[in-house]
Amino acid sequence: MTNHPLDAEAPSGTPAPETAARARLVGVLVRTGEEDRASFRELYALTSAKLFGVCYRICGERQAAEDVLHDVYLTIWRRAGAYDPLRASPITWLATIARNRAIDWQRAQKIRRATPIEDAPPMIDTAPLASETMLQDEASELLHGCLQGLEARQRDAIRTAFFDGVTYAELAERQSIPLGTMKSWVRRGLAKLKECLEG
Amino acid sequence: MSDLPPPEGVGPDGLDDAPDMTAAELALGVLDGEERAAALRRVLADPDFAREVERWRGHLSPWFDQWPAITAPDILARIERSLDHAAPAASPVASLITPPRARGGMWPGIAALSSIAAAGLLVILVTRPLPPVAPPHPSASVAAPLSPTLVASITPVDKSTPVTAVYDASGGTIRLTEASLAIADRSAELWVIPADGTPHSLGVLSTHGGTALTLRPDNRQRLAAGAVLAVTLEPLGGSPTGLPTGPIVAKGILSRV
Repeated sequence: MTNHPLDAEAPSGTPAPETAARARLVGVLVRTGEEDRASFRELYALTSAKLFGVCYRICGERQAAEDVLHDVYLTIWRRAGAYDPLRASPITWLATIARNRAIDWQRAQKIRRATPIEDAPPMIDTAPLASETMLQDEASELLHGCLQGLEARQRDAIRTAFFDGVTYAELAERQSIPLGTMKSWVRRGLAKLKECLEG
Repeated sequence: MSDLPPPEGVGPDGLDDAPDMTAAELALGVLDGEERAAALRRVLADPDFAREVERWRGHLSPWFDQWPAITAPDILARIERSLDHAAPAASPVASLITPPRARGGMWPGIAALSSIAAAGLLVILVTRPLPPVAPPHPSASVAAPLSPTLVASITPVDKSTPVTAVYDASGGTIRLTEASLAIADRSAELWVIPADGTPHSLGVLSTHGGTALTLRPDNRQRLAAGAVLAVTLEPLGGSPTGLPTGPIVAKGILSRV
């Protein structure tokens, strides 16, 4: 396992722990793409808490989140061969699959969840994945800096949409404002965000 | 910029002066129903738009770091059981379209196809535009609150250029890029093979250019992620029996975008 080329580390000295953690994650993901079941198990151990957090928050109920998590890992197994370490960080790639699957589930439900989850799930420490924060420092600072430039209501709506995976209709319902108004807030907010991020 | 919400009743949704942020909206996940389906179609049809969506996913990705982790239930064994059972379960379908192989060998093939569909699809579409389809009737948008788009990369058995198929559930339409699968005095017929293993004809492919087929209601129900699309060579105009009579010349597996 340590002989895989993707495990090769920076030539000079000991790599920072976060670099090593990311390299490890990239390694197990790439080997999962080569259908290595042992790496897939390691991937589950390293990432299931993060991905379950994504599924739980968006699905809003434990059993559904568990079922979605099951599908997420089946998808990961099938698609890992297409993962390109140069294009996306492993956790972004994995979390995007989890978020999209959870949103698919949520969109398929007839009943809208008009209120946020009340029973906040317990949080745990995820040392290996916290590393992503370090690596994405620059992107992260840019995003958060640009978000500060938005009106609070725009920022809140965009943030809620991301973390709760909710639609315009649900955002409007939660805030008790007309749908058109919510769309307008968010669109303007996104336009301003784009200007800041890409400008 | 005004802090006031726009006046109600300006245009259909009061948004006449709001910028088009569809790519960001899709990446953020706020779209629903027909708006979401339309945006997904646009991803497939417009490479610039697809890149814009990708760019937005990147913009928003730092937020994943803040996402609280929760101790996951230990469902690894259940997941592995599903992986182990996926291969035998696929056999009735797969045996129709591939020569028998070692048992463990089936799944990698399917996995590879799915990966191709997921990874290579946008690239394929950049260079191989899909044929246009008549716009759906206005009533179509009411029918399907959830309108998934399914894709498949249909790979010819001779390993020539794959044919991309895109199924739009909201309109019940499947579109395929140009295929040169038909030969003289034979038609290339498209089939869906759902989990029960029975092929159902979706229609005959055009001999020139791409193909767009609007499916009957019974076939629409058969198009789901994991179903196999296969192309066989049949007498001109299609199989007279309703079941494939000729050899399979290409196949692929439908997956969600």
